[in-house]
Amino acid sequence: MNPLLAQLLSKGRFRLSVGILLLVVAFAVLGPMLDTRNPLFAVGGRYDPPSANAILGTDVIGNDVFLQLMHGLGTSLKIGLIAGLVATAIGVLIGTLAGFLGGVVDEILMGLTNVVITIPTIVILILLSVALESRTLVSLALIIGVTSWPWTARAIRAQTASLRVREHVDVARLSGAGTFSIILWEILPYMFSYIFMAFVLQLASAILSEAALSLLGLGPDNTISLGKMLQFAIQGEAIRTGAYWAFLPPTLLLTVISFALLLLQSSLDEVFNPRLRRA
Amino acid sequence: MRKIWLFVLGFLVFCGGVQAQSLPRKETLYVGGLQWGPPSSFNPLMAQAGAAWPNTAPTAFGSQLLYETLFVYNMLSGELEPQLAARLETPNPTTFRITLRNGTRWQDGRPLTSRDVVYTFELAKRHPVGYAPFWDYVRSVSANSPTVVTIQLNPQKPNPGLVRNYLASVTILPEHIWSQVEKTERSILQFANLNPVGSGPYKLKEYNNERIVLERDPNYWGRSVWGLPAPRYIVHPIFKSNEAGNLALEQGQVDLSQQFVPEIWKMWEQKRLPVSTWLKQPPYHLPGHLPIIFINVNKKGLDNPLVRRAIAYAINYPLIAQTAMSNYSVPVNSSLIIPEGGEKKFFDAELVRKEGWSFNPRRALEILEKELGAKKGSDGIYVLPDGTRLGPWKVQCPFGWTDWNQALEIVAANARAVGIDLRTEFPEYPVANQNMANGTFDLGLWFVSGVGPASPWQRFRDVLDGRGVPPVGQTAFWNYNRYSNPKVGELLDKAAAATSEAELKRLYGELDKIFMTDVPVIPLMYRPLEFFQYNETVWTGFPNAANPYAPPMHSGAGVRFTR
Repeated sequence: MNPLLAQLLSKGRFRLSVGILLLVVAFAVLGPMLDTRNPLFAVGGRYDPPSANAILGTDVIGNDVFLQLMHGLGTSLKIGLIAGLVATAIGVLIGTLAGFLGGVVDEILMGLTNVVITIPTIVILILLSVALESRTLVSLALIIGVTSWPWTARAIRAQTASLRVREHVDVARLSGAGTFSIILWEILPYMFSYIFMAFVLQLASAILSEAALSLLGLGPDNTISLGKMLQFAIQGEAIRTGAYWAFLPPTLLLTVISFALLLLQSSLDEVFNPRLRRA
Repeated sequence: MRKIWLFVLGFLVFCGGVQAQSLPRKETLYVGGLQWGPPSSFNPLMAQAGAAWPNTAPTAFGSQLLYETLFVYNMLSGELEPQLAARLETPNPTTFRITLRNGTRWQDGRPLTSRDVVYTFELAKRHPVGYAPFWDYVRSVSANSPTVVTIQLNPQKPNPGLVRNYLASVTILPEHIWSQVEKTERSILQFANLNPVGSGPYKLKEYNNERIVLERDPNYWGRSVWGLPAPRYIVHPIFKSNEAGNLALEQGQVDLSQQFVPEIWKMWEQKRLPVSTWLKQPPYHLPGHLPIIFINVNKKGLDNPLVRRAIAYAINYPLIAQTAMSNYSVPVNSSLIIPEGGEKKFFDAELVRKEGWSFNPRRALEILEKELGAKKGSDGIYVLPDGTRLGPWKVQCPFGWTDWNQALEIVAANARAVGIDLRTEFPEYPVANQNMANGTFDLGLWFVSGVGPASPWQRFRDVLDGRGVPPVGQTAFWNYNRYSNPKVGELLDKAAAATSEAELKRLYGELDKIFMTDVPVIPLMYRPLEFFQYNETVWTGFPNAANPYAPPMHSGAGVRFTR
């Protein structure tokens, strides 16, 4: 077995986080296959408490909270995945180009990155979401993705800048390889674990961004997500009327996902980052 | 050193002085739900366009606290009651003779006379005020003596009901002040009127971004008629959100509220608070409004009345009433007449049963498959024989109108369940408003005239009358979906001029049948004219169904606070 993998598997934190994530994904993927009812269709009345009919009760318009949780989790994960991939891709592209090419290109790209960092992401998110005619799952994910890449770009740039002066890169350059070929074959493979960890962080923050946007009423239209469940609970005054089942489950699930992803990231970091590696 | 302390002490005293003066709770009535943003204008001519409480009301019938109207509308009886005026006589069908009460007076001590009444109505000839259409139906308003006003109706356009509606909604203004305003201000509608002089029992005491305070006028002219109102002060706190206002009602910081308070029964059933609504059991409030989905009848697919009928059958009205409306509505009938209060006498349950619809998704499928011959596509959405797919169509209403947003989520889910692709869209209010007025929408939930002296005539006009409505792209004030039917105009004109109740009932029945056949709109729920709930921790004696001495209204003939 790969020694790194063996090392990973020996860590309790890694096993715990992967276990939680597998359960969460299974809930979102297998759940709707086992229970094919429409989550946007009422099964009871306004805020019916948990019962045999709906084990987590109903929301403000009588939809089954448990069913919504399954489908909403799926939407939130999809948004997180797409947004995380987009943000990581942009971050890696800009980071490697800036780090590898250096000079004026570096100045320009990092200038741009620093400008984007100083603008509060939530403001851009809100403006972009409002400007959209209708918000679909994909468009929302793209909005989150294109606003959250700067930190990844900065980190990747630093890594690239240090890899650039390695000997094997010089060898490749001497043997006539082009810029993109070198980045692709000589630099990226050495950062792969690092990029993956950046992606895990992006995934966690994208899921939370979706929740924040949906809470403000800017979530994806005509579908259900964890954030939209919270928005509905707040709109329907679930807190004042004591309908805890409408807002606690999505809140807890969001907490668990973030916790598991951050735990995964830190356990990966521990293995892949030699300075943190314990004896 | 001592100087510094003196300075600090002085600063603290200064801060204390700046802080809002606290009013004695026992003498102060707190109301809520009638003012949301910071107040910027107290001009009653702007009641529909942002004037602050108490000049604004959720209905056309203004509050009687600061300014007053000639008559006040009582939604329980459907009748006009005297306010500034003592009586309304009709010596012949085209003449109204109004006699003012004795001793009517402005808050600055000057007498309120028939000249002020004439001046107020004639303002609408010179300025684009909200009641400008009054002059479509009236030929002249004249003062015969200081207390008598005669209104000659326009015999070409007889509509005494609508004129009565204006008598109960136009606030009378003092000529000696507003004629000066006309001279000095560029636009009388932009005039902020920050030191309002009205004729009502309360004067504006102070206002800021957190509250508006009214103080009782001990010299109110009407004290000989009704006595002085009990609260010395009436305060409207300006809440940041609906929930904050509801919490204040629950905690007794607000005494009387016009907010939508979901599941209010829990306050007395579970928390044992002295809170109440008009009725102690569902639907808790009296219906006074009929929120309606306008359907764009000029859009391919939606131009077919059978498609519209299928949508109407697909919607789960009982669920909307129970969830989105928090049980504050009974399931809506497929009628433009509200079957309670003043309109009850016109409601024909038999006609509705025969010609109308109710929640029945199987009937919707039957219409789609058998009557329309539509085929279900692989995506579960029906396609008409001519190839028109039923959707995607957007059904819109303003963002943040929570009960409406929730109701439309149900509508969209119901429609998709029978194979019609409806999707919700919640733009900000100005965008939604423009879409409606310009006719650029697929389906849109909107309001039409509530109960009043001219209802249900006004509501039939709002929904069915296509005469004089500008084309798509220009601002319409009713008939947003540009529906037209040649039979409607004549029926509406006859109903406007009709004098006998039997005749009216027959005409309204015919109009209601046209609505049920063509389905240009779908009523979704009933809503109270104004939400009316109170907390009796400090003040008691509010009217309710058991003690109906006043209707559940914050305006018109509603509570006078005299007990």
